[in-house]
Amino acid sequence: MLQFDRVSLPDTTDQLRREVRVFLSECDDLGRANSDFTTGHNAEFSRQLGAKGWIGMTWPKAYGGAERSFFERYVVTEELLAAGAPVSAHWVADRQSGPLLLTYGSEAQRQKYLPGIVKGESFFSIGMSEPNTGSDLASVRTTAKRVAGGWLVSGTKLWTTGAHLNHYIISLVRTEPPSENRHAGLSQLIVDLKSERVAVRPIKNMAGGEDFNEVVFDGAFVADDDVVGEPGNGWEQVTSELGYERSGPERFLSAFRVYVEFVRLVATDPSVHEAAAVGRIAAHLKTLRRMSMSVAGMLENRKTPNVEAALVKELGNNFEKLLPEIARLALPLSGDRTRFQEAYQDTLLLSPSFTLRGGTREILRGVIARGLGLR
Amino acid sequence: MVGHTQQLVLDSAEKIFANGCNKSVLDAAEVGQFPEALWALVRENGFHLLALPGSGAELEDVFAVLKIAGRYALPLPLAEVLLANRWLNHDGDELISIGLMRDSQVVEVPWGRQASRCVAVNAQNELMEVTGGDLRRRSNLAGEPRDVLIEVQSSIVHVEEPVFELMALSRVALSAGALQRVLELGLQYATEREQFGRTISKFQAIQHTLAVVAAEVAAVLRSADAAVEAIGDARFAMEVATAKARTGEAVGIVAEAVHQVHGAMGFTYEHELHHFTRRLWAWREEYGNEVYWQARLGRHICALGADNVWDFLATRA
Ligand SMILES: Cc1cc2nc3c(=O)[nH]c(=O)nc-3n(C[C@H](O)[C@H](O)[C@H](O)COP(=O)(O)OP(=O)(O)OC[C@H]3O[C@@H](n4cnc5c(N)ncnc54)[C@H](O)[C@@H]3O)c2cc1C
Repeated sequence: MLQFDRVSLPDTTDQLRREVRVFLSECDDLGRANSDFTTGHNAEFSRQLGAKGWIGMTWPKAYGGAERSFFERYVVTEELLAAGAPVSAHWVADRQSGPLLLTYGSEAQRQKYLPGIVKGESFFSIGMSEPNTGSDLASVRTTAKRVAGGWLVSGTKLWTTGAHLNHYIISLVRTEPPSENRHAGLSQLIVDLKSERVAVRPIKNMAGGEDFNEVVFDGAFVADDDVVGEPGNGWEQVTSELGYERSGPERFLSAFRVYVEFVRLVATDPSVHEAAAVGRIAAHLKTLRRMSMSVAGMLENRKTPNVEAALVKELGNNFEKLLPEIARLALPLSGDRTRFQEAYQDTLLLSPSFTLRGGTREILRGVIARGLGLR
Repeated sequence: MVGHTQQLVLDSAEKIFANGCNKSVLDAAEVGQFPEALWALVRENGFHLLALPGSGAELEDVFAVLKIAGRYALPLPLAEVLLANRWLNHDGDELISIGLMRDSQVVEVPWGRQASRCVAVNAQNELMEVTGGDLRRRSNLAGEPRDVLIEVQSSIVHVEEPVFELMALSRVALSAGALQRVLELGLQYATEREQFGRTISKFQAIQHTLAVVAAEVAAVLRSADAAVEAIGDARFAMEVATAKARTGEAVGIVAEAVHQVHGAMGFTYEHELHHFTRRLWAWREEYGNEVYWQARLGRHICALGADNVWDFLATRA
């Protein structure tokens, strides 16, 4: 599990990379000082990406995908993040909701949902956490009760990124009462966020943004057709998403804009201390990127690299917090700091979330420890 | 080297080093007893000639063997012998060592006392034949011979390869192997030692400590591999910088953490852990420590400018 194989991106990715850069250079001011994947929700930008064929890139053509490799997807996603592009609207649908439907969804679900995602017109949220359910995901209390033709969902989801703007939420709910096997009786339901008896309330975060929400289901109706996979199979399904969710470039690039602005400030004639700070960050970034690319290779080969993904996220999230620290302590007194300050402050205020979202540091270390045979 | 032959070489290195580097051999080497039997085995199996052009092995295989040497704390100057034989095109059995020029007349040479001949490198990637001089016996904090030759004469030997960077990479490879071993020792101790009626591996604090260690080790292995892969490429020096800097950072974290897991037992001379952790602490200083390489990497990036940073990082390999 400590083996992260060498991966060489195919040379076709050079051309693709250039295309993405040209596209980004032609976008009007993206207006963002950070590379955080959750904070820039821009439906128009996502639609433009969809038109380029850069969403759902690896998916079958039958559903609008391009049947390209995970490496090509990797190149597009990392270019977007490095540039600080506003990717939040389509991010979850592209990264994990689509792949989930491709693995477990019905044919009808794929036909109904995937083409809209690919076009950058249909956005998804993750409905896992609740007021009393964070790390202990199997403890979810939101329930779905059987009625004719479907289910009635009641309960509250919390911290749901983008729910105020997105179209659907894939919710993990109890479809059977809790039993001895805590992982049994859970199911994933696709709920239309605009449907009746669903109330979404944005929650302001400490950085001043309103990205995550409380989502209250008050007996919302979900048709049988919108149950993903078999009822009761929810636990297996959510854990299958983790390799996708935890290993991508968004797990170590959130602070990248701080680095660029830091280099801009020290670039001419750096002192040893400044140069070492620049190099230290680069050594981490290069290594993390290679580890993350190895996991993309495992996904390409249809493996389930959950422990490897946890290792990337553990290292990557800690590094995202370290990067602004390294930069701040090596900042020269002279020079125009405006752009640096903007990126630094934005990133620092978001940084507490880096080691929480997508599985906390402590939970990841537990996953790694299990992989090491310690538990 | 083709996959199959390569595997045979690595397997036999693993076997020879594992059998030959037990605690008593390591202890004896530290008090100055040269491991003749082990050195004979290395020569009988032709490991000392592996890096010679025409041996059939690639430098990649050579660094894979060094990683295994690090795993067992092989008390021989294998990196020096391999690369000296390569650069001097020497296929004899005498021990030639490679040192680092401290200034124009002072060279620090691993196992200088044992060497029949010495060459030295400097940070400008020059290789020098070193003659004359007085030998002072010295050792690093792992007790590995690091003799100092003073008042030497030197003359340049022409080689095409970046000798300084390759020596630095040898320390990365050795460290990668030793770090793997230190992680294994930590895992083993945690699953054997019992306190409060259970093995200490059941305590979350211990689990998390070892998870952090595993992540650091995985990062080192990947960065070491990437540098080896870049041999001969224009970006080689900066990949060595990346690997040496990243490895140095990991060493501090891993050695500290795994000693903590071992309790007082790991603080004894009796336990083997220190043979690895002390080597790691020594090797991270040799051929440039973290800050040396970070600064080189950083200056390179600063010269490219802020708007080219991403392009520099986003390599295909
Ligand atoms: C910006 C942001 C966006 C998010 N977006 C979404 C989203 O879109 N959809 C969604 O479902 N969720 C989302 N989340 C929620 C996220 O998944 C949870 O925050 C996370 O799972 C942790 O849950 P919690 O916050 O309730 O913390 P808790 O689980 O209560 O944990 C609090 C602390 O206790 C520690 N802890 C808990 N259990 C253990 C244990 N067994 N051993 C050791 N330590 C433990 C944790 O590591 C943490 O440090 C988001 C969170 C953030 C910050």
